[in-house]
Amino acid sequence: MSDLLSRRSAAVALAVLAAVTIAAGLVFPDSWVGTVLSVLASPGTHTAMLRLAVPIALAAIGGIFAEKSGVINIGLEGLLIVSAFSAILVTFRLGAGESTALLSNHWWGFAVGVIVSTLFALLFAAVCIEFEADQIIAGLAVWLIALGLAPFASRIVFDSPNTGNVGTFDAVTVPVLSEVPVLGYLLFDTGPDVYVMLIAAVAGWYLLARTRFGRWVEASGENPKALDTAGVDVRKVRYAAVLLSGIFAGLGGAGFALGQLGTFAGGGETDIGGRGFIAIATYLFANYHPIGALAGSFLFAGLDAVQIRLQTYGYAVPTELIRTIPYVTVIAVLVLFGKTRLPEAAGEPYDPDED
Amino acid sequence: MRDRIEGLIGRLVRASIVERVAIAAAALVAAVVVGGVLVFVSGGFASCASGLDLAGWTFCYNPMQVYYELFLGALGHPLEGGWHVHNFSLATTLRETTLLAFAGLSVAVAFRAGLFNIGTQGQLVVGGLLTAVTVLFAARFVPGGAVGTLVLVPLGVLAGAVGGGFYGAIPGALKAYGGANEVITTIMLNFVAVGVTSTLLSWRFQDPESANPQTRAVPEYAEIPTIPVIGYSPRLDFSLLALGFAVALMVGLAWMLARTSFGYELRVSGVQPEAARYGGVAEKRMTVASMTLSGALGGIAGAFWVLMQHGRWLENVPSLGFDGIAVSILAGNNPLGVGAAAFLFGVLSSGGRSINTATDVPPELVGVVSGLIILFVAMPEFFRMIGRQFLDVDEEPGRGTGGGADE
Amino acid sequence: MSESEGDTVAGRSAGESDLAVHLDGITKRFSDVVANDDVDLRVERGSVHALLGENGAGKTTLMNVLYGLYEPDEGRVVVDGRERGFDRPRDAIDAGIGMIHQHFMLVDTMTVAENVALGNEPRKWFGLAVDRARIDREIRDLCDRYGFSVDPDARIGDVSVGVRQRVEIIKALYRGADVLILDEPTAVLTPQEVEDLYDVLAELTAQGKTIIFITHKLGEATHAADAITVLRDGESVGTVDPEGTSRAELAELMVGREVLLEAETEPVETGETVLSVADLSVIDDRDVPVVSGIDLDVRAGEVVGIAGVDGNGQAELVEAVAGLRTPDAGTVRFSGRDVTDWSRRKRIESGMAYVPEDRQERGLVMPFDLVENAVLGSQRGPAFAGDGRIDWAAVRDHAEDVVGTYDVRPATTDSEAADLSGGNQQKFVVGRELERDPDLLVATHPTRGVDVGSTEFVHDRLLELRREGVATLLVSSNLEEVRSLSDRLAVIYEGEFVDVVDPDAVTEEELGLLMAGEHPEGTTESETEPPVGGEGGDER
Repeated sequence: MSDLLSRRSAAVALAVLAAVTIAAGLVFPDSWVGTVLSVLASPGTHTAMLRLAVPIALAAIGGIFAEKSGVINIGLEGLLIVSAFSAILVTFRLGAGESTALLSNHWWGFAVGVIVSTLFALLFAAVCIEFEADQIIAGLAVWLIALGLAPFASRIVFDSPNTGNVGTFDAVTVPVLSEVPVLGYLLFDTGPDVYVMLIAAVAGWYLLARTRFGRWVEASGENPKALDTAGVDVRKVRYAAVLLSGIFAGLGGAGFALGQLGTFAGGGETDIGGRGFIAIATYLFANYHPIGALAGSFLFAGLDAVQIRLQTYGYAVPTELIRTIPYVTVIAVLVLFGKTRLPEAAGEPYDPDED
Repeated sequence: MRDRIEGLIGRLVRASIVERVAIAAAALVAAVVVGGVLVFVSGGFASCASGLDLAGWTFCYNPMQVYYELFLGALGHPLEGGWHVHNFSLATTLRETTLLAFAGLSVAVAFRAGLFNIGTQGQLVVGGLLTAVTVLFAARFVPGGAVGTLVLVPLGVLAGAVGGGFYGAIPGALKAYGGANEVITTIMLNFVAVGVTSTLLSWRFQDPESANPQTRAVPEYAEIPTIPVIGYSPRLDFSLLALGFAVALMVGLAWMLARTSFGYELRVSGVQPEAARYGGVAEKRMTVASMTLSGALGGIAGAFWVLMQHGRWLENVPSLGFDGIAVSILAGNNPLGVGAAAFLFGVLSSGGRSINTATDVPPELVGVVSGLIILFVAMPEFFRMIGRQFLDVDEEPGRGTGGGADE
Repeated sequence: MSESEGDTVAGRSAGESDLAVHLDGITKRFSDVVANDDVDLRVERGSVHALLGENGAGKTTLMNVLYGLYEPDEGRVVVDGRERGFDRPRDAIDAGIGMIHQHFMLVDTMTVAENVALGNEPRKWFGLAVDRARIDREIRDLCDRYGFSVDPDARIGDVSVGVRQRVEIIKALYRGADVLILDEPTAVLTPQEVEDLYDVLAELTAQGKTIIFITHKLGEATHAADAITVLRDGESVGTVDPEGTSRAELAELMVGREVLLEAETEPVETGETVLSVADLSVIDDRDVPVVSGIDLDVRAGEVVGIAGVDGNGQAELVEAVAGLRTPDAGTVRFSGRDVTDWSRRKRIESGMAYVPEDRQERGLVMPFDLVENAVLGSQRGPAFAGDGRIDWAAVRDHAEDVVGTYDVRPATTDSEAADLSGGNQQKFVVGRELERDPDLLVATHPTRGVDVGSTEFVHDRLLELRREGVATLLVSSNLEEVRSLSDRLAVIYEGEFVDVVDPDAVTEEELGLLMAGEHPEGTTESETEPPVGGEGGDER
């Protein structure tokens, strides 16, 4: 309860700060505050924010399922990497801008990206559930394997750690509705990846809150023995939850690659650049609520979008410093607004024979 | 007779240290096999002039050749003529071994205290920058030559330890006094370290004569000295003294864990925090202390990376800290085991370069193989199952906590 | 102890067709431990059948076999006259068997209704949503029928233990259980809640349900059951009718020999006050006050016992004394010094020994061998580690002493703590703490899980320490133990001392009422005034 209150007071403080900024910006339109405000108000920023939110929000929702079921999936970053890379690779191989079996090759690439991510999640699930591996270590392994595998494959196909360019999804424009102010360009004139994100967030919420599977996921993470004695196979529930995390992360990675990037740089931290870890931060911040995670991803992606736009205005923004804001925020949230309580049995393999 | 041998092997398989070594070895073999399959299969998608033709499909890569280059290339091809111990590849391998040993010890110490320090990378970044900055600053007041070496090298290493220790103490304190999970905070702090150090670099410490994001070079006499005659040439960026220091740290940490009150308390905290509290361990202070020690070791890795390899701090820091996690896990978080594991990963790292020059296989293979090793080490149950299948070992003996006989 | 098929057909009291459950020759092994050895159990329909035995007698294992959690190595499970093989709980549930576990199988973060329906949620909208209205309706129907009152929307984490148990029963009934297995159902209940439970059981059997009731308490078995089967060391030693059997006979069946329940305590001259707790209050992790304004003095050469139902604040009180929990208010004085703010280590070093309640979590480091465990608590003390280094040779000698003196088996210091049986773990912890040469001993359940012979030895050692002038604060759920060892007995209820009584003068009935927070009729201050000095018990 106290956690909730302090979260709320933090939100109020943020709102006040925002109001002051807006007021200052309106009064002094030529100051840097005014510029920030105009960036904040620009449709371009909003659209960019939505697209940048795709990998974060979807990976976060996937992570919620896995962790709620008791399997901490710290390998989300790896899932984003493999899905983004394979989506680009397949689209490129099939031919960008062309169609196969009446479906744009971008969609084939998208589908393969999701499948590859799901297969990785299956591997991770088997390692954690079947062989009772330490989940943190196995998750790190998934990340490191993906980090090596994407540039490895890229070099074979493209002779470089970076892939060729396949362009991005065309925006889907809904006639009439797209003319509606604000909502129009936000929701009715945007990429399919954004639609996927919005639909997935609602679907994720519904699945968790309204279906029996959602109940089982919660019980599996809080008290697996209770679920087991109620006659539900804990392992199956956990497998399903981890596979779902793979599907959601795959939607995020493939959607990000084909909706925003159009190409994939596999060097260093890759183009994913830690968004999988921000996703973990986001769902902890949102206390495992899918819609909350969506909102949180807007916050972090918005920061990124504003920072990018400010640079185009010629401001010498300390980019690197701004990039650290999501991470610092997460630490502050963890410390100040109470311990986001992990599910009781998170991180432990379930052994039915143990009392 | 066969029964007796199987019984003996079975008992050995159960014995914990032997089991751990066996599992590490099995994980290595499994990772190499899977990596080999990956190499072979991906060769089917590469294009080449000549390869192995199977059913009309050309496979360009020969896994055996790749592993030959990986493992022997890292040592400078000892089986071929003209081999000399002071070769470039072996120097690279040993340099990586040294740096990975520090990073591995950093992770291992935290692990033994029950803390998962994923932040060694960040601690290394921060410690390394502080080393470079401190040495650059102090060099103004210190004469050159041997005196400079004697003053600046220990000072630089100390600065790295302080910087890394401080940066490790942060997640320790956040956990002890704020209840923040160290896995999450250390991951976050890695990103923060990158952002803050590169901001600091462009703000103050950038080398004005270079377009690369890096600090100015420290004076040559402030780099880790090499031993004349028997040591490696300074051009190879490796010093036996550094390796000796790493070995000394390994032994020292092993001794500390086994023999001292602090080490005992750290180990109890790691396996059973409630028992540590009961036994009078000040848990919060122990959390901060072990994270500080862990961070300091990470900072030392950064210091040696600066003072031995580059002579300056570069914004593009290699992922030694993450590889340190792999080293520590493979070593079962045992300080002495860290030496062997660090050498293995040193071979992988250096062998990656041989692969790049001698074959067409992308050197990123090494990253995949390291990831696979971690994955396999993380699942000892997998190898136990296989072991049981082949050896027909009895189930584990009943433990006090297990079974249903306690009600 | 097994019966032949002929016996089964002939029947002792009931034919096969009247039996709700018949376990025939069940054997269950865990690697080399035989938990159940050829056990027979015949439960008549519509009866309350008690399964009586000491901890570790194999009662829970047997019931887990019936519930499909364990597969028996040998034997048959017959339910309603049909032989069944349950691979998993689902099969048992489908056959009409419900189990209420000792540790409730409930999810704290979910509501009563969600817990009741877990795994059996009715669905609507083509299976796309849980039909919550229907769950609520069915729970209300069950409550009406059996006379429960439970709010379906309450979160489990917010309701009392008694209500949780009720929820478990509803959960089993919701799944259509005809046979209910209750594992130690009274362990966590207050005496009043226990009475309520008996009423519930009566109501259930009146409506045709069959109850199997696992307990290690004689009184409960004789009070509530229609038939009692006694288990000992994994074997069934007989089924008796509670009407025609004395408690002494039952006790003998349980432990296999006549039991001497009283340890002899000769009066000892008490010295000065060693431990003095004043107005101590503790608030637990969930912000609930669990200890409220307790005053307590323990003198040298005195054993002060604390009696009470588990969960009434005794654990927190002891932790506050031992230095594992920060009190919210009040002071703890030890040997004349205010130690309220002292660290745990400082308290150990100044002569406080502590046998904790949970040996596997606290008292021992499970993966460490006994040598390493012997130094736990003294790892910085002058005896073994004067200069920051531990003298392992001295520690080994000490560990061997403890193992020898306290008959820890196997008698080697090389075994890991985890490989010892529970009783031997306990002996090692007790030995380590008693040999600390303490001024104050705080002991919680010092003989839990320990065999009878070793229990006597531990009791003798406790009394020996008392003669040597050690002050002892003793908490035990075993009433006989606290009564026979204590010089004074404080009864705790909801974090307050209800009374401090003379353990030799108080009757079991009076203790029972006190433990329920009530004062027995006619008990006055003068009668209950402790015989040896001290105050305390001002909460009247």
